[in-house]
Amino acid sequence: MNKLKLNYTSLSFLPILVCIPLGYQLINNIHFGGFKLFQEFLISAFNPKIDNEIIITVIKRLNETILIGFFSWLVSIIFGAIFGIISSNIFYKIFNIPNFFYRIVRFFLTIIRSIHEVVWGILLMQIYGINFSIGIIAICIPYIAVNSKVFAEQLEIIDYKSFESINQINAPKFSSLLTLIWNPIINTFKNFGLYRLECSIRSTVILGLFGIGGIGTSIFLSFQTLNFRELWTYLWSLAILIIISGLIFKKIKFNTTNKILSIFFISVFFITILFSFSYFLYFIFNNNFENFNSVSSLFKSSSNLGLFDFLKLILETIILSLLSTGIAISLPPLVIGIFNNNTSKIFIKIFAFLLRLIPTPVILLTLLTFNNPSVSLAALTLGLHNAGITSKLLFTNLDSQDKRNYIAMKSLGISKKTSWLLGLFSQQAKSYLAYCAYRSDIIIRETTIVGVIGSVGLGWQLQESLSSFAWQEVILVLIAYSSIAIVGELINGKIKNSLT
Amino acid sequence: MNNTVLELENISYKYKNDLILNKINLKINSGEKIALLGKSGSGKTTLISLLNGTIKPTQGEVKLFNESFEELDRKQKSKITTIWQDLRLIEDLSAEQNVNCGLLAENNFYFAFKNLLNISSFKKAHKYMKLCRLHNSIYDKKIRKLSGGQKQRVAIARSLIQESNILLADEPFNNLDPKLITTIKNLLLENVDKNKTKKSPKTALVALHRLDLLNDFDKVIGIRDGKIFFNIKRNNLKKIHLEKIY
Ligand SMILES: Nc1ncnc2c1ncn2[C@@H]1O[C@H](COP(=O)(O)OP(=O)(O)OP(=O)(O)O)[C@@H](O)[C@H]1O
Ligand SMILES: [Mg+2]
Repeated sequence: MNKLKLNYTSLSFLPILVCIPLGYQLINNIHFGGFKLFQEFLISAFNPKIDNEIIITVIKRLNETILIGFFSWLVSIIFGAIFGIISSNIFYKIFNIPNFFYRIVRFFLTIIRSIHEVVWGILLMQIYGINFSIGIIAICIPYIAVNSKVFAEQLEIIDYKSFESINQINAPKFSSLLTLIWNPIINTFKNFGLYRLECSIRSTVILGLFGIGGIGTSIFLSFQTLNFRELWTYLWSLAILIIISGLIFKKIKFNTTNKILSIFFISVFFITILFSFSYFLYFIFNNNFENFNSVSSLFKSSSNLGLFDFLKLILETIILSLLSTGIAISLPPLVIGIFNNNTSKIFIKIFAFLLRLIPTPVILLTLLTFNNPSVSLAALTLGLHNAGITSKLLFTNLDSQDKRNYIAMKSLGISKKTSWLLGLFSQQAKSYLAYCAYRSDIIIRETTIVGVIGSVGLGWQLQESLSSFAWQEVILVLIAYSSIAIVGELINGKIKNSLT
Repeated sequence: MNNTVLELENISYKYKNDLILNKINLKINSGEKIALLGKSGSGKTTLISLLNGTIKPTQGEVKLFNESFEELDRKQKSKITTIWQDLRLIEDLSAEQNVNCGLLAENNFYFAFKNLLNISSFKKAHKYMKLCRLHNSIYDKKIRKLSGGQKQRVAIARSLIQESNILLADEPFNNLDPKLITTIKNLLLENVDKNKTKKSPKTALVALHRLDLLNDFDKVIGIRDGKIFFNIKRNNLKKIHLEKIY
């Protein structure tokens, strides 16, 4: 048993080996031209620009971000729940629908979520032009599919026996369904709602970097003009927004025994659905398809992409995913384990918060000040950002864990680091790895963002093809992307199953 | 006047390669109170699951009111109510909400909705919970926070609230103290008595291990190794019968 635990532990550290090729390439690519800029960037963090003018801009931009972020969250969580229900086992059992449809719905959702919101965003912007609602739609499309997976997973663990007992009573099917899914749905909303809100605010910011508006656009513009003090004003205000939204969300009580609150939630639910549908219809009938005149333009466009280049891009994307995943898995336990004291812990937590806060494109652009673009640099960026996220989870789990083993080991005279490793971390390793498997799904999708900025992989190609309206290439790249993501999800699913 | 309500015709049930029930023939007449005996693993729960249609026989036919189970509609099937050995309550719902689940079949969607939102006073549920000695303080508690005996009684209340003609109970006295056993036993079997004079008689089949409770039944069925070993009037039950099945 002990040996097995040690294995999961060592598996959590092993991926740090990716640092060898990564470091090698990074060192080779170093340049000192922008070191001053980098310094300035760091110093500005403590000295953000604060005056009347910028505060007004911040409020205006934040409003846009909140609007896009909140509405895309609301729509995607409600439709996510609905699709979660119709992609869960229990739905098919109650209504006696053949399993075949279950597979089709699931496959469809898998394809949709395999493409990152930034890709949807760039794609839609290219077709419809820059438009406020494009931001919401771009986030909602993959988010509905992602949320539906989260909901469906929680619905899958409904006790089969309680289904049988309700089924035996022979209640009307919708009543049975509602009664069985009620609590899993509400609990999923409680547990994941806030996290998904944070995600959709982050996605709004990233789409902002690509021009959709809101604080992201300001961040990008201030970076472009090297206005670091302004940049940090935006970043800190974003931090405040994320922290405050967390506090508010935790304050709201989703108490289903309160009549007025229940009625309020239900009306929000139905109004959102109605509004989304009517908007959807409006969108379809009222948009002139500026650049995407007809399907025929798809076939007229030619592809200059050679097979060899294409394969190289795919390979690059896969390597990028692997390297970043390695960093995201191993860096947090390594750093937390080595600097295992209270003061360092605070610094690590702040650093991890910053890594989560600063959008990946900005991290990448900062790193580009002293390193030439390469796969390794993109991987480092993506890895660091995701390490910020995995370390948050690791901290939460370690803090809530029973510490008796750890204390006992320390009192036996075993060194602090070893006791931490064997007494604390070893018990978390398995669930930590399972979470990392899930995380790497997301990393694969996020390779697009760093790809576009850091000119690597398929992301970069996508940008190129889109700006030259080479629709055939675009389609090709999208298919490649979603294939990689789907295969990745399958592999990660297998890994996760063996870990839980 | 033997009015058969439930009938098993030459039933066999196989799970993978194990023959769990072997060519069972059984008639349950209206108004009968039957005790089902048999040692642990003999197939009592399996028999009950066949009778309420949760599992389908590998061979043979289950008949309710002389009609094949498959052909019956929802209303007719809901004339059977079951108290499960493993209770099968919905852990995340409150005691009251679980009891109301028994009423889902005779009500519409709006009722299910009201039940989950808890925005109505459910008098019928309260009545049955009181009968099972469950007090006000328990109504809003989630199942996972109840004691074993409380859960047991919630399951019993959920079943009784259906006011069905036929009751199938799988070791309903588990987890109950002696006083509660008497109360619940009267509740389960008295219903049968009360209605005997009425047009819709109630029938009960109860699987149990407590031989001291047999006096309240009028028939005893013993199963062993997946076969019905005896099916006799309680008055005719001899010690030798019991020795053979245990
Ligand atoms: N889901 C199942 N999977 C595999 N075997 C099963 C299953 N259900 C029951 N069995 C087997 O069927 C046989 C009869 O089980 P059953 O639960 O009907 O016994 P029982 O008489 O109710 O026992 P007890 O008094 O312990 O509740 C047992 O040998 C059991 O192992
Ligand atoms: Mg049993």
